[in-house]
Amino acid sequence: MANYYNIDDILTEEEFVPVVFHKAANGVLIDPSSETNSVEQGAKVELPLWLAQELCLRQAVSISAPACFNQKTRLEIQADAACVDLRSRSPYFYEFGCKIAPLVGDKTVEVLLLSAFKIRYKEILTKAYTAAHTSTLKFLTLLTKEETNLYEAAQSSMAAFKKWRKGGPRLQRASVLGRKRKPIE
Amino acid sequence: MHGRKAYQLVKDFASGEKGHLKSFNNELFDRVIEECNEHHNALQSLIRKMQEEGLEVQTAKNADHYGALIHHLSLIRNKRCLMAYVYNRAEIVRELAWNVGLLHELPHEIQEKLNETEEQYFKDHSKSLKLYMSQMNLDVNVDMVPPKDPYIKVRVLEDLGSGIILSDKTANFARHSMHFLKRTDAEQYISRDKDVSY
Repeated sequence: MANYYNIDDILTEEEFVPVVFHKAANGVLIDPSSETNSVEQGAKVELPLWLAQELCLRQAVSISAPACFNQKTRLEIQADAACVDLRSRSPYFYEFGCKIAPLVGDKTVEVLLLSAFKIRYKEILTKAYTAAHTSTLKFLTLLTKEETNLYEAAQSSMAAFKKWRKGGPRLQRASVLGRKRKPIE
Repeated sequence: MHGRKAYQLVKDFASGEKGHLKSFNNELFDRVIEECNEHHNALQSLIRKMQEEGLEVQTAKNADHYGALIHHLSLIRNKRCLMAYVYNRAEIVRELAWNVGLLHELPHEIQEKLNETEEQYFKDHSKSLKLYMSQMNLDVNVDMVPPKDPYIKVRVLEDLGSGIILSDKTANFARHSMHFLKRTDAEQYISRDKDVSY
C-alpha cells in the first residue's frame, strides 16, 4: 500500500496499452469508434493501464505489448542505450515495463529494461559528477522520470560535498520561502 | 471519460515545483467529484437492469456486469487520485509548519494557495507540535548539530518593531541593527528570513 498515494505510481498507471476485449461490456463510453455505449467482443481498444490490469485479472481482456516496447525501440537500445530518447516513448518507461511484464507474458521485456538501465545508469552518474551546464542539457531531455531523480540526487550530493569542504553558513532561510512567487491575481 | 479528469488533477499537482504548492484547483476537484457521481449513477442503473432481468448480480457475467465493473473501477481510480492530491498537499503543509515556524503567519503568497481546510490543518498541526514541545520541555525545531558557540551575531533585515521578547532579554529589532543573540532564539528568525547571521 506504500504506492497508493505515490504520484509517480498513479501517473505510471495512466499509460495506454492496447487490449482486445474477450467479453462485451455495456453502458460504457470507452470505445471512441463505436456509436453505441458499448464495446463488443473482439474489439481492439486502447485502455489506461489501471483499467487494463484489473480487467485482465478478471479475464475480460487480453493485453498486448504497448507501442513503446516495439521492435524499433529494442533495436535502438541494442545499438546504443545511452542515446535513446526514452522520455518520448514514456516518461515512466521502467516502471511501466515492470508492470506490463507479468501481464503480457513476454520474457524479453525484463532483459531489455535491465540492459538499457545498466548502460544509462553509468552515463547518468558520470554526467552528474562532471556537469558543465551547457553540454548536459540535451542529455537530460532523454531521461525518464526515475533517471532524472537519480541525476538530481547525484548532483545534490555533489553540491553538498563541495559545500562541506568549503564550509558554508550553517543556518539558512527555509527553502520553501526561497523563491519569488507570483501572487494570484 | 474514465479517469481523465482525475489524471489532469494529479498532473497539475506533479507539474508544480517539488516542495512548492500551486493553488488549490477547486474547479478540477469538483469536476472529478461530479464524474464520480455520474459513474455511481451508471453503476446503479446497470445493476438494476440486471436485477430486472432476473439474473444473480454476483455470478452472471454478461455485458452489463462488465460495464458495471468498469464504472466501479473508474470510481475507485478517481477516489485514489483525489486522495493522493489531498494527501500530498497535506504533506507539504506539514513541512511548511516545520520549517517556517510554528503558528507564525505564512507569507501572503503561500497563504493564497491553501484551501480553508489546509489552513486549518496548518494551525492544528503547529498547535500539536507546540503542545508536544512544551510537555517535553524540549524544542525540537532547532538545528540538530550542537553548535560550537551558544551565541550568534545577527543583523536584522526587516523592521520587526521594538520590545520583542527573547529568552533572556528584550530586544529592539530595528532594521540593520546588529544583535548578539542566543542561537536558539535567532534560528527561528533566520529561517523566516528576517535576519542574517555572521
